[in-house]
Amino acid sequence: MKLSKTCLSLFVALAGSLSSAQMLAHDMVPGKAAEGPLLLTGLTIHTVTDGIKADSDVLIVDGKIAAVGQNLTAPQGATVLALDGKHLYPGLIALANQLGLIEIEAVRSTDDSREVTQTNPDIKAKVGYNADSEVIPTIRSNGFAYSMIYPDGSMLMGQSSLMQLDAWNYQDALVADGTGLHVRWPNASTLGSRWNPKPADEVRKANAEQLAKLQQYFQAAKAYYDAEQAGLNRGVDSRWHEMLAVFNGERPLFVHADDERQIRQAMLLAKEYNLKLTIVGGRDSWRLADELAAAKVAVIYTAPYGLPSRADENYSQAFTVPKTLQDAGVNYALSLDGYWDTRNLVFAAGQAISFGLTPEQALRSVTINAAQIAGVADKIGSIEVGKAASLVVSEGDIFDYLSHKVTHLWIDGREVDLNNRHKQLHNKYKQRIN
Amino acid sequence: MTSERLSLLSAALLTVFAASSHADQTSPLQGIQDKTPNLIALTGATVYTEPGKKLEKATVLIADGRISAVGTSVKVPAGYQQIDASRYTLYPGFIDPYTQYGIEAAKPAKPGSYRDAPVYKNERKGGNASNDAIHAQQRWVSEFKPDAKAAEALRKLGFTAAQSARFDGIFRGQAFVSSLGEGLPNQLVLKADGPQFMAFSKGTSKQSYPSSLMGSIALIRQTLSDANWYSQAYGKTDVRYFNQPVEFNVALQSLANINQQGAVFETGDDRSLLRAHLLLNEFKLNNAAMVGSGFEYVRLDEIKASGRSLILPLNFPAAPAVEQVADQLDVNLADLRHWERAPANAAALAQAGVPFALTTYKLKDTKDFWPNLRKAVQYGLSADTALAALTTVPARLSGVADKLGKIAPGYQADLVLASGDLFADGEIVATWVRGQQHSIKAITPVDFAGDYQLSVAGKAVKVSLTGPADKLSGSAVLQAGGAEAKSVKLEHIHSQQQLLQFNLNLAELTGDKQIAQFSGQLTDNRLTGKWQLGSNTELVTAQRQTLAESPAKAAASKPDTVMLSKLTFPNRAYGLPALAKQQNVHIKNVTVWTAEKEGILENTDVIVRDGKFDKIGKNLATPRGFDVIDGTGMHLTPGIIDEHSHVAIEAGVNEGTDAVTSEVRIADVINPEDINLYRGLAGGTTTAQLLHGSANPIGGQAQVIQFRWGENAEGLKMKAAPPSIKFALGENVKQSNWGDAFTERYPQTRVGVETAIRDAFVAAKEYKAKLAAYDKLSKRQREQVAPPRIDYRLEALVEILDKQRFIHTHSYVASEILMLIELADEMGFNITTFTHILEGYKTAKEMQAHGASASTFADWWAYKMEVQDAIPTNACLMAEQGVNVSINSDDAGLQRRLNQEAAKSVMYCGMDEHEALKMVTINPAMQLKIDKVTGSVKAGKQADFVLWNTHPLSVYSQAQQTWIEGTKYFDINTDKQLQQQLEAEKTALIQKVLNAGDSAKAGSKDAYKQDEPEWHCEDQGDWWNIGSYIHSHGHKH
Repeated sequence: MKLSKTCLSLFVALAGSLSSAQMLAHDMVPGKAAEGPLLLTGLTIHTVTDGIKADSDVLIVDGKIAAVGQNLTAPQGATVLALDGKHLYPGLIALANQLGLIEIEAVRSTDDSREVTQTNPDIKAKVGYNADSEVIPTIRSNGFAYSMIYPDGSMLMGQSSLMQLDAWNYQDALVADGTGLHVRWPNASTLGSRWNPKPADEVRKANAEQLAKLQQYFQAAKAYYDAEQAGLNRGVDSRWHEMLAVFNGERPLFVHADDERQIRQAMLLAKEYNLKLTIVGGRDSWRLADELAAAKVAVIYTAPYGLPSRADENYSQAFTVPKTLQDAGVNYALSLDGYWDTRNLVFAAGQAISFGLTPEQALRSVTINAAQIAGVADKIGSIEVGKAASLVVSEGDIFDYLSHKVTHLWIDGREVDLNNRHKQLHNKYKQRIN
Repeated sequence: MTSERLSLLSAALLTVFAASSHADQTSPLQGIQDKTPNLIALTGATVYTEPGKKLEKATVLIADGRISAVGTSVKVPAGYQQIDASRYTLYPGFIDPYTQYGIEAAKPAKPGSYRDAPVYKNERKGGNASNDAIHAQQRWVSEFKPDAKAAEALRKLGFTAAQSARFDGIFRGQAFVSSLGEGLPNQLVLKADGPQFMAFSKGTSKQSYPSSLMGSIALIRQTLSDANWYSQAYGKTDVRYFNQPVEFNVALQSLANINQQGAVFETGDDRSLLRAHLLLNEFKLNNAAMVGSGFEYVRLDEIKASGRSLILPLNFPAAPAVEQVADQLDVNLADLRHWERAPANAAALAQAGVPFALTTYKLKDTKDFWPNLRKAVQYGLSADTALAALTTVPARLSGVADKLGKIAPGYQADLVLASGDLFADGEIVATWVRGQQHSIKAITPVDFAGDYQLSVAGKAVKVSLTGPADKLSGSAVLQAGGAEAKSVKLEHIHSQQQLLQFNLNLAELTGDKQIAQFSGQLTDNRLTGKWQLGSNTELVTAQRQTLAESPAKAAASKPDTVMLSKLTFPNRAYGLPALAKQQNVHIKNVTVWTAEKEGILENTDVIVRDGKFDKIGKNLATPRGFDVIDGTGMHLTPGIIDEHSHVAIEAGVNEGTDAVTSEVRIADVINPEDINLYRGLAGGTTTAQLLHGSANPIGGQAQVIQFRWGENAEGLKMKAAPPSIKFALGENVKQSNWGDAFTERYPQTRVGVETAIRDAFVAAKEYKAKLAAYDKLSKRQREQVAPPRIDYRLEALVEILDKQRFIHTHSYVASEILMLIELADEMGFNITTFTHILEGYKTAKEMQAHGASASTFADWWAYKMEVQDAIPTNACLMAEQGVNVSINSDDAGLQRRLNQEAAKSVMYCGMDEHEALKMVTINPAMQLKIDKVTGSVKAGKQADFVLWNTHPLSVYSQAQQTWIEGTKYFDINTDKQLQQQLEAEKTALIQKVLNAGDSAKAGSKDAYKQDEPEWHCEDQGDWWNIGSYIHSHGHKH
């Protein structure tokens, strides 16, 4: 539940520094590479890309999935783990959040989520990632193996990085660098903030000014790109240099936008420069789902638990957006744009089932779709031979509180410690009860 | 009879002299005495002596500024200057009861910022109040300087008197009534000690308190109570204050007679009006009028029942911007509805019999006053009621009904002279103020407009004249010419009184190369005169025929008064067409989660009778006349109860100024129109405790409500719930995250929080003891001393000590939890519920020993330092210790899935499912002490329940129906219909706006209600200075 930019600016202004808040490293050791093959047996396997396989096995060799099927034979030296009746899913993927960048929201010294200036395409989220964050193990415990983190800010915010969640440091954690350039789109509604109300005309004017500014940034970056192609640049402008990959189509553009008008403006810009566009936020994406599908614009939808955006919208409007995107053929993933509450994303996907998705569709929205949007669908996001052995076991349906119970998690075949600060405190103070 | 017809010029001259005719009454004479007489007869006029009383061809006599006679048989006495008003209508002069006329307006405060340092104290001088929003002692008459320009602008609208004070502050001071004429202020003042003007907004006061609407209400309540006390206490000694003499307080002194002097309370909308009414009623202030808002039609019955008179502004809203399709995203149904209905508000009030006056207040341009008033008339307001709203009603409200508002002998000679019916299309021609004439247009005895059959040179010709006498235009056509006949323009038209001249070029009419010159006189609708045709003269005479109004013009002036919009409860999207009604119902074959020892009952029937659970059992017979719901496959649970909510709170959730604000009451600021109530129902929530925020150690009084969507604020309040109050500990109250400006208020540390609460209770105990001691005094002894001053802040703490009010305290870390328990034990009060209580698992033993319950978040943590040890198994551990545990939301979004939040304890720590559901039903009911009434499915209890499509703790469950006291407030099927209907209605209204074209754009741009923000605990700042708000979109609770 992260926090729109206005509120972040308040935090920046208000949060006092607290030097004693430097978090200590926790004592959970990243999993070791397995000594030999590992065979998991007797599972209901949610492959994502090849249906659900009842009473089946998975073979893991060298951190990769080597085989999926019934009655697999254990190779020589393999460890066999009988998980009869349990459910196996790909390690879940959370997109667009600030895990590892913020430890305690209100304590400024623990927050590395937001840089100043509006032109930060050269910022890389990965370098702020605290692999020892106390928050990360609590996310893993609910089945998440990956998180794509992004730098917050206004306008050109920087590059996101895809991290795996069981690591010694950020280099160790990094799965994919520069997965996208993140842009926070300027306001396009005529309403001022409830906290700083202004007449519609003034808001329109301010909106136009901000949009023009953003367009200027793109013009400048494009001029740099063109000059670069012609060998005419006089030196490196590190900001625009990092946008070369955006203009040559290697790095997608992630535009944070909720309002229909913002999304249309972003689509125009993407078309003008021929950029690969993904919308992050996307509260209004249901209003133009067909157009998004036709333009092959993906959506990272961050309001699966959201209140309606407007007074006249139905109470369930934000809940039904995934279904609308699904029906229109939009590629979408679900996200909770925050940090500590990322662990609830799996249940948000569950609620989306209640509001129209099939369980398979909901699973895609936190696995293969997310992997596609992060550009790593060839490596993770499904249970397929050759993909990373990042797998999670739940006693039952992982999406429902009543059956969700994560017993095992592997990332690249390494078994992850499912302990966390919460379990430790629980166990400590359990001693004091009664 | 010798009378003299006045020329316009001489009439104007007379007024100038008359203005100074009594200047020497208390002022030394300068120059030569002015003895110009003021004796005027207005004759032949249509006269509205008062609303509903019309005289035709009547005469009004003015003598020395007063009306001396009025009637149809009044003779004009010798010596009077006669004005022929036979073409005109006379109304009593209008009175605007809510202006700042003659007073310098307050300088608008510089917009504040949340970075500004708080201001806790005001400058003390002259025995003023301790709050700068209170300047009750200000007698605005002493600041009165006549303002010729402003007076003229008001006179042009027909106003001849105004009631004025400065619009600034809460107790704004005493208004006065003055004439809008010329002269010394001494002459113009009609009433020096008028009503006290009041409002909720603190205006330009820099003082931090009050920072919220509930703070303003508490301040008004304390001040009115103090005023009552002061009038009995001043001059005696104060038993509460070391037997010192009661100190002088000029503000309280000046409020001693407020009910005699009256009050005028400015309100912002219907909710604000009802709130102000109830507040003044507490002090039996019957003599108070309300400045309205245009939203009164929304709650007409309640407003009528209030018995208040209103003062209505006519600032109809400009239509929402719908010209561009993209802009329509920002347009609400509620605003479209109000745009359509605002012009009909006055008519609706009139029809309901609510008395009201009209005011120019809130009009950006007062030129809109008459167009808007005529619009209100077109929407059904009768001209008589409109006239009353301009004359007799404001005269009464301003306390000048004995001299203003009627045309009657002895009344001040304040008159409006209009051509035609002012409430249709008439124009104001002149006013008289205190007998002085102020001309706007020329007064002419005749109007020549009409058709005349005037044959000329043997041809039948029709002459048509249009326009007022000084701007006549005309044409002539041959009568024999048929439809094709050419129309010739008249030239050189000139009129003087009844005399008329013009030229007609016959060449174009008859072919005669001649100019015919007409001269004549109009008397009694007959034009008699002659044509001069060269040397020939033709005498002619013709009866005037009235011009037919062009049908196009008549149609254009009539707006479309057919309403497309619905009027619902509340009047917004998803409002109900009528208040929901109780039903007797039999739910068959459902899985019942009782939240009682019976646990979960499958295949069970539930019978609801007269709002209560009547029977719970298998295969029950359907009583006659009961509705049947097939519950097969569904689950029935008690309605969800939220111990910690901030929905439906208006204008500030924190009075976060002083460290102790136990005098403020959430009950005062319930907003029944908050859409989050409906959204909550859709999540199965029926009941919530609305808590004050967490900005201070002792916050405000809480209010338990039920989500009875459609009812008004009073209807939402749960009568069975005992009083409760919010306390808070930790980071928020020590202002850790408020910024550098907030480092002064005591306490700034957790250690200071303890002493701050302790000291407040010490004060409360002493207060209680002093009150008790006074009660024991004999009657004679009591006469010697002042009665003790009631202190609402301490009263609430005494109620806590008396176990009449129950504490719900925001708390996080173990140390502060233990501290408060220890302090409570020492001071003799109890903690009912620790709310949030994220480290409750560390102190569960002590909480259990104290008897405190716990209401926690399911899994929130990491958003601030003090929640770093929060764990999602907190609820389980506390429950294991035997603490009563509930799960709360503190968030409008989360409030819609508290069932899911409860399920997290099943998931994280294996809590029994039925026990988990109890954490959002019977357990919070016990914490709110409403468990005798609701919280479980039990015969005899109020039928508050939810029907779910599946297991209520499953992520896949959705509420299908939500019932409170046997009344269905949410139905998932009805919801879909409501949505379809509202979309159709919205489309129709947008079409109506588009069809209305430019006329829809005219009007006030800020006359719509704005939805409240989604309040959270820590949102704090100055509501009256909205830019200075610290608001978090995150989880900093």
